[in-house]
Amino acid sequence: MTVSVGNAVWQGLIILLGGGLLGLVYKGFDRKLAAQMQGRIGPPLRQPFFDVVKLMVKENIVPDHAVGWLFNLMPVISLAAVATILFYLPLGGYAPLLGGYGDLVLILYLLAVPALAMMVGGFAASSPYASVGAQREMVMLMSYEFPLAIALVGLAWRLSTILPAGSSVFSLGVLAANPLWGLVGPLGIVGLALLMLALLVVTPAELSKIPFDIPEAETEIAGGILAEYSGRNLALFYLSDAVKTVVMGALVVALFIPYGLSGLAGLTGAAGAALDVVFFLVKLFVVVFVSVIVVRVGFARLKVNQVARLFWLPVTAFSFLGLLLLAVDRVI
Amino acid sequence: MIFATLFKQLVRRPATNPFPVKYMPRSVTGLLGKVAAGKASIHPPIPAPVDLRGKIAYDAEKCIGCQLCVRVCPAKVIEFLPEEKKIRMYVARCTFCAQCVDACPVDALATTPDFLLADTDRFSENLIVQAAPGAAAAAAPEEE
Amino acid sequence: MHNERINIDLEANKSAVAYSIPIGPTHPALKEPIRFSFELDGERIVGVDIKPGFAHRGIEYMGMRRNLIQTLYLSERICGICSISHPLAFTMAVEHAAGIEVPPRAQAIRTIIGELERIHSHILWAGVGAHELGFDTLLHLTWNVREKVMDLLESLTGNRVDYAIPIISGVRRDIPEEKVHLAAEALDYYKRLLQDLIDAFLHDKSVEMRTKNVGVLTYDEAIALCAIGPTARASGVKKDVRQDWPYYGFADMEVRAITPEDFGREPVGDVYDNIIVRVLEVAQSIEIIERCLETMPSGELMSIPKIPALLAALKKAEGEGIGRHEAPRGEVFHYIRLEADVEEPVAWKVRAPTYGNLMAWVPKFLGDEIADIPIIAASIDPCMCCMDRMHFVSRDGDQSTRLKEELVRLSREKTRRICG
Repeated sequence: MTVSVGNAVWQGLIILLGGGLLGLVYKGFDRKLAAQMQGRIGPPLRQPFFDVVKLMVKENIVPDHAVGWLFNLMPVISLAAVATILFYLPLGGYAPLLGGYGDLVLILYLLAVPALAMMVGGFAASSPYASVGAQREMVMLMSYEFPLAIALVGLAWRLSTILPAGSSVFSLGVLAANPLWGLVGPLGIVGLALLMLALLVVTPAELSKIPFDIPEAETEIAGGILAEYSGRNLALFYLSDAVKTVVMGALVVALFIPYGLSGLAGLTGAAGAALDVVFFLVKLFVVVFVSVIVVRVGFARLKVNQVARLFWLPVTAFSFLGLLLLAVDRVI
Repeated sequence: MIFATLFKQLVRRPATNPFPVKYMPRSVTGLLGKVAAGKASIHPPIPAPVDLRGKIAYDAEKCIGCQLCVRVCPAKVIEFLPEEKKIRMYVARCTFCAQCVDACPVDALATTPDFLLADTDRFSENLIVQAAPGAAAAAAPEEE
Repeated sequence: MHNERINIDLEANKSAVAYSIPIGPTHPALKEPIRFSFELDGERIVGVDIKPGFAHRGIEYMGMRRNLIQTLYLSERICGICSISHPLAFTMAVEHAAGIEVPPRAQAIRTIIGELERIHSHILWAGVGAHELGFDTLLHLTWNVREKVMDLLESLTGNRVDYAIPIISGVRRDIPEEKVHLAAEALDYYKRLLQDLIDAFLHDKSVEMRTKNVGVLTYDEAIALCAIGPTARASGVKKDVRQDWPYYGFADMEVRAITPEDFGREPVGDVYDNIIVRVLEVAQSIEIIERCLETMPSGELMSIPKIPALLAALKKAEGEGIGRHEAPRGEVFHYIRLEADVEEPVAWKVRAPTYGNLMAWVPKFLGDEIADIPIIAASIDPCMCCMDRMHFVSRDGDQSTRLKEELVRLSREKTRRICG
């Protein structure tokens, strides 16, 4: 596709702004629905916006013993990394903006950047709580990256065996345009379901939400990595968490439920595009609801060794099994 | 697993007792003005049981000035006024044990279910119980 | 024997100690101020130092400057959650010292309110425990069901906390016939709820993962460290004031100490056992209250109903008395000494349950992980400000720590001074 540079900049700005707003809106829903499930009234939906504005005007405190430039740089890197992923995701009926310039492997790396940034920021804060949190984040990162990688690579490999040679199967646009559910046999569908399950389990870990919120664990290490962050820096981490929620949700949607309604409803043009975007938002909401909100209110926080065991054994086994089933399906 | 409870709760009313308004209004005084003008409504407080030990009511006519309430009050809420042989109570200190009510030999004291006593001034008229209602200003805190 | 375990662990890991983290005096895991210093090897705890003394309020001293009726309400404010336990132990001590009888109906009412308090305290603890595990949903749901007993207490006594119901020689309010059905209804509600509580806490996979074999206090350690209340019972020690030293109606009811064996589990003394004991004690309290309501004796509420007469009798009284009550957190003990013609107690000593359980923390913490700190800290249901008994204030500012020998000497001197 050929887009002029000016157009691309405009679309990029819209995507960035939309991603940020959407993340905060979903955060609002998250808090409201979690409160409702717990029998509380909860904050108004626009509370995350208030929070960000409030944090932005608050004083930004850097601890005396912290490595100042690292400490201040990390929130920016974290937000920049997750915001970049937005450009590689198919949103609604629209193909990824930078689809031609990077693929799934890049997304995998970009997804690890916020976690790394928080880790470095935590160590730079030189507070015992932040150090413990950073160590835990490191263990978490090593635990969930493996099943995540298996799931993503598995999908791309299976697609490469179906599409003609030379197609860029690692591009999310291509993956979204050719949903695998219809292209594989019954065994393959079971395999896909397992991979989807693995990805849904990885999602709350990637987002540091209960039961995997151990790097922040409020009652244990008082916010851990974020213990020393305040003001603008905290707001940036907050925003990057919000955007990351959208990114993870959109990734699951793009990989496993990339269907649109416009074809079904027989709509074309602007109406069809609008319908697809709305449907995309609904799918995103369902994914976030199932894998973040419900999980977050339904479990206790696990310990770091339990998380590592969970991801290395059952979740990895599940994703391997899924991969195996996909392979068997191809042979048959 | 408590998921069944969680999903049931999703459609149930929250258990929280409603605050006067659901969310913080843009301006509290503005809202109170509207409520006074009848343009807005706020949730009424949760009804209290009839025999709640709230603010103490004082019937100065019956009071004989025996000072028994002064003796039993654990928080030293009650001040004896020697000239009038009456008492004055500083509700801001009160612990609502109502021992003075039990001690009073002539039933001059009684509990009321009135518990909304928050105030910015601990010597405001609402927080001083004494004989004549208008006399609060004249008998402003000499000690403290 | 507990010392050996502690020493072995410390010696073996001295070289491995990488860093220490402070928890407290203020920390999200702590509801009240206390300071822990943990020595850590990675995530594992190899050493712990506990420093209480941030919430001393001098209540005993204040009580010795008030007459006994005033001090009664002061004793109620030692603890907001055990707000009947301390007055009960206090009145018991005063009645013991002054030789005052309590009418049977008053005894039954005291028992009922005391057991209602146990229900609310244990449910509150369960919610706090869930919060420490990061399971906020369970916190909100359990605190929601706790409202029922709080409402019942409010309508029976007139106050939601600090019930102000017992008075020396009896109780201040009756439970009239029309309120008995309120109580019965609330008890039915909790009986129906009990299975839900067991399911939510004892059969939940993630709660099990976090509490089984965490914060272990073995039977021998519980005995050696004189742990009391649910903390000791979770380790299998059959210890309960209501069983061992029955007071009021408990002698007839044959209350027995609840241990994890009643749930069919060999006592380990971990946090899971603590939950078992507390949940089952809610059931036990329901039973006790029902029996009290059924067999409620009639009669007067106070043996000395007139306040001036009571004050006069207390002024005449001389002697010393003790009061023991099984509070939700364990035994609460009050000692009082009265002298004739002195309205104030000459000596008043309070031992809150947490004081007995404080040292149980040490073996519970050792060998566990940072992630277990909040739940282990909560597992003894600590109440710091009930427990804080002294505070050194020195003009020179150099004596902040006193060792055991010096403390014993000072205490003996004080006892001699008080008792003449």
